[in-house]
Amino acid sequence: MKNAIVAAALMALLSVTFQVPSASAHKLRQKGEAVTVADSRLTVTPQCDWNRLSGKPGKNAETWTLDGGQLNDLTFYAGIEAGKPLVKERHKKKDPLPKFGKSTLLVELPELLEGTYRTYKKIGAFQLTSTAPARFLGQDGVIFTYDYTDADQITRKGEATAAIVDGKLYMVSFDAPRLHYFDKAIADVRALVATATL
Amino acid sequence: MRIISGIVFTIGMMLLALPATAQERSALKKGFELSANSGKRILVFRPSVSVGAQSTGGMFEPNGDWTERASKNIQVSLERLQSRLGNTVIVAPEAYGEEAQRLQEHMSLFAAVSQAVIEYQFFVGNRLPTKKRDNKNDVFDWSLGAGVASLPGAQDADYALFIYNRDAYGSTGRKILQVLALLGPGIAVKSGEHAGYAGLVDLKTGDLLWLNADGAMGGDVREEEGSEKRVRQLLEDFPGSAIKQEQ
Repeated sequence: MKNAIVAAALMALLSVTFQVPSASAHKLRQKGEAVTVADSRLTVTPQCDWNRLSGKPGKNAETWTLDGGQLNDLTFYAGIEAGKPLVKERHKKKDPLPKFGKSTLLVELPELLEGTYRTYKKIGAFQLTSTAPARFLGQDGVIFTYDYTDADQITRKGEATAAIVDGKLYMVSFDAPRLHYFDKAIADVRALVATATL
Repeated sequence: MRIISGIVFTIGMMLLALPATAQERSALKKGFELSANSGKRILVFRPSVSVGAQSTGGMFEPNGDWTERASKNIQVSLERLQSRLGNTVIVAPEAYGEEAQRLQEHMSLFAAVSQAVIEYQFFVGNRLPTKKRDNKNDVFDWSLGAGVASLPGAQDADYALFIYNRDAYGSTGRKILQVLALLGPGIAVKSGEHAGYAGLVDLKTGDLLWLNADGAMGGDVREEEGSEKRVRQLLEDFPGSAIKQEQ
């Protein structure tokens, strides 16, 4: 009996210890080195050093940053299948996320991201500022820009490039505060997006 | 029974001890020095203060009365300590309209930068690889951007002192949940949030020259004495000041 209690105590102590983010699971993504992202075949070659954050927002998503997610957020959505949301749903019933569908068109992708942000980030003020056709992954795609104000009262600017390949969605988005941070990194982001291949 | 209470005590101690051992609190940009009475002019903005309650579910519920009291208390303590900062202190002019909005957004950005520094640089176990490398080379590279040069009063000063303060006092429900969680499977539930950040910013480049940021500060800002303690803690280690020696 005593042993069982001691074992339970040890387990409890261990689980408490592991509450602290484990010894940096964030990974360096080095300038000039091609790398696959979001457990998919999507490959990009960064133009400067980035950090891949350890936590993934979804099964087919992965986030990179320079200074922290709140200051520069480069997220890859790679191979999202029809019927699936962009990121993991927190509450399937209470806060359902919009899903990418078989019949979703390129022009509907900004709306998909907007709807996802409104629920996932709980933001009210989201504005699509431009949409234009673009080439992405050797296909016809879409590039769109937007801005939104988050709960932390910072207005962020965003730019996303997307294409649908073999019925699956591939998208790269970059969000950063409009003060200083967006302009500082957008050229590197665009250069990285241009290297994307499948 | 004694074993179980011993276990609960040990877990409690670990919860208290962990963040303290794993975290740094302040940093100075490499090569930056500010000696006392150097003749530099420091612009002090009215601190951004918000105080509220933390619901059982952990949500922040703002409390206007507490926020007003804390803002007043913090302002009084700050004014009292300003003369001890060691340089010429200029109080930022009141901002209106678009100017006030721009200042507010910079205050929010300062809070976000401070949080990122705490999360990804001060918290040694959670460092971003690029920041880890920076740290090895003693580089402290964070900025609010050159937009700070257009803030009200900026043309009359060399540096700006930003202060951000947020307190959430745990509700009774939250405190009960915290105790229950201690007895349960070892889920850490935090009751209350007491974050305070003070930073010195270069008014030409927007670079952060000094930062003192802590996600768990002392002093009840709703009381005069507590506010004094908080502001002293915020300005502790301010380059060239005499505030620390007085403690």
